[in-house]
Amino acid sequence: MIDQAVRTFVALAGEVGLHYDFLLSPSEVRPWIAGMGTTLLLVLLAIPLSLAAGVAFAAALTSGRPWLAGPVRAYVELTRNTPTLVQLMFAFFALNMLLSKALGGAANNPFTPFFWVVAVTGLHIAAFHAEALRGGIEAVPAAMVETAHAIGFSSFEVLRYVTLPLALRTAMPAIVNNLVNLVKLTTIGSAIAVGEVTYASIMIWTQRDNVLELMIVILLFFGFINTVLSQIGRYVERRLAVPGYGV
Amino acid sequence: MAQDSTARPILVELQDVHLSFGAAEVLKGIDLTVAKGDAVSIIGPSGSGKSTILRCINGLAQPQAGRITVAGTRVDTLRNEAERIALRKRIGIVFQQYNLFPHLTVLENITIAPTRILKVPRAEAEALARDLLARVRLADKVAAYPGELSGGQQQRVAIARALTMRPELVLFDEVTSALDPEMVGEVLAVIRELVRDGLTSILVTHEMRFAEEISDTIAFTENGRIVAQAPPAELFYRSGNPRIRQFIGGFQGYRDAVQDREGI
Repeated sequence: MIDQAVRTFVALAGEVGLHYDFLLSPSEVRPWIAGMGTTLLLVLLAIPLSLAAGVAFAAALTSGRPWLAGPVRAYVELTRNTPTLVQLMFAFFALNMLLSKALGGAANNPFTPFFWVVAVTGLHIAAFHAEALRGGIEAVPAAMVETAHAIGFSSFEVLRYVTLPLALRTAMPAIVNNLVNLVKLTTIGSAIAVGEVTYASIMIWTQRDNVLELMIVILLFFGFINTVLSQIGRYVERRLAVPGYGV
Repeated sequence: MAQDSTARPILVELQDVHLSFGAAEVLKGIDLTVAKGDAVSIIGPSGSGKSTILRCINGLAQPQAGRITVAGTRVDTLRNEAERIALRKRIGIVFQQYNLFPHLTVLENITIAPTRILKVPRAEAEALARDLLARVRLADKVAAYPGELSGGQQQRVAIARALTMRPELVLFDEVTSALDPEMVGEVLAVIRELVRDGLTSILVTHEMRFAEEISDTIAFTENGRIVAQAPPAELFYRSGNPRIRQFIGGFQGYRDAVQDREGI
């Protein structure tokens, strides 16, 4: 049934000069489909990492404690102002190498290229989340914060129950923007041979010279993920909306 | 209104409290005593330090000199957050701008402190919240968000929120100053009832008629000092201080309007 549909599609595409013949070769299709799965897995792991780290960074930046805010500020500036691809190369070739050495050989190093892609993209986007959330936290009126303290909340509780929930609402559009970027950013995994969808596609087009055909699929694939992501973002925004505050 | 304040224990005592913000000396030696069950109003011109006195009492502002004692706790010597939290759990405060949490419903605004800070079970906290909302006549607004309420309604929720920790003392900081005139009465009515029920309270207010009616003592501040402290009748009508007579006099016309509005 599916076989037949694929055959028909390949034939029809052939009519207009697009060569999807690789779809009929299981040994090529399997790693390619797996590549899509890898991309989805990268996204599903990096998104929560970026959000958790973004909240932690924002908390540190607004803590008013220089020993906490200072290093995080330095990290945010460094990661925002340098290319992510270079960061990944650095993490994988320099940090990973040092780790391997420290652990007594690459065989003992549990960190895979896949891990480094999740870590670098997640923590890179976290810096952008942190800035968006910091803006939201600082936009909460000082009187509101003072009231929360007067009620008997600790600094952490003020953040947890008052400023962060309000900041999240203000920062939501920027955060969704960052997540859309994160999804696209996972393609840098191809630079260190993580078999995500672009890497898997490169493997095919170097043999078959069908770059255009695969590019079309890659564009549709990422377009689809990000459309879904944006819809979820809108839904969350609507759910969080409260009468009389900000957006 | 309490009858003989001298017979009851002292709840709040300020002795020679000095506070400066940078070069600006805001409090220049404040002495104030509040007995349990008393309602004390602080009146006086803007910028005379009225609100700062309240902020010192619950540890939001730290005086440079003087002693502040609230129910046996030395407020001026509190040095860390944990000590201040222990104090603030026992003192309710209501602000001019209500400052309700906009992302929480009316019920959540009232239950968040007892459930998160005192770890009171949710059902118990909600039962108390509903009682308090009935007292401030907002039982039907449980599920509303602050943004859906009028200023007067928000301020009454803020009063309920201040009562939710069963405080020994409630501070009211110009709670009607941001309200439209027609909403002042409903808020004052709630406070009047609380004071009659024996709540110890300190009120910074510009509602002279109201202060006169509910207070056991009125303190008149000017330029960082309490220049007079007396029962309302004495301070309002028998004060020999020309500055006080002038200040009260300035409100005379206003007082008639207040009287009309409250239908007293």
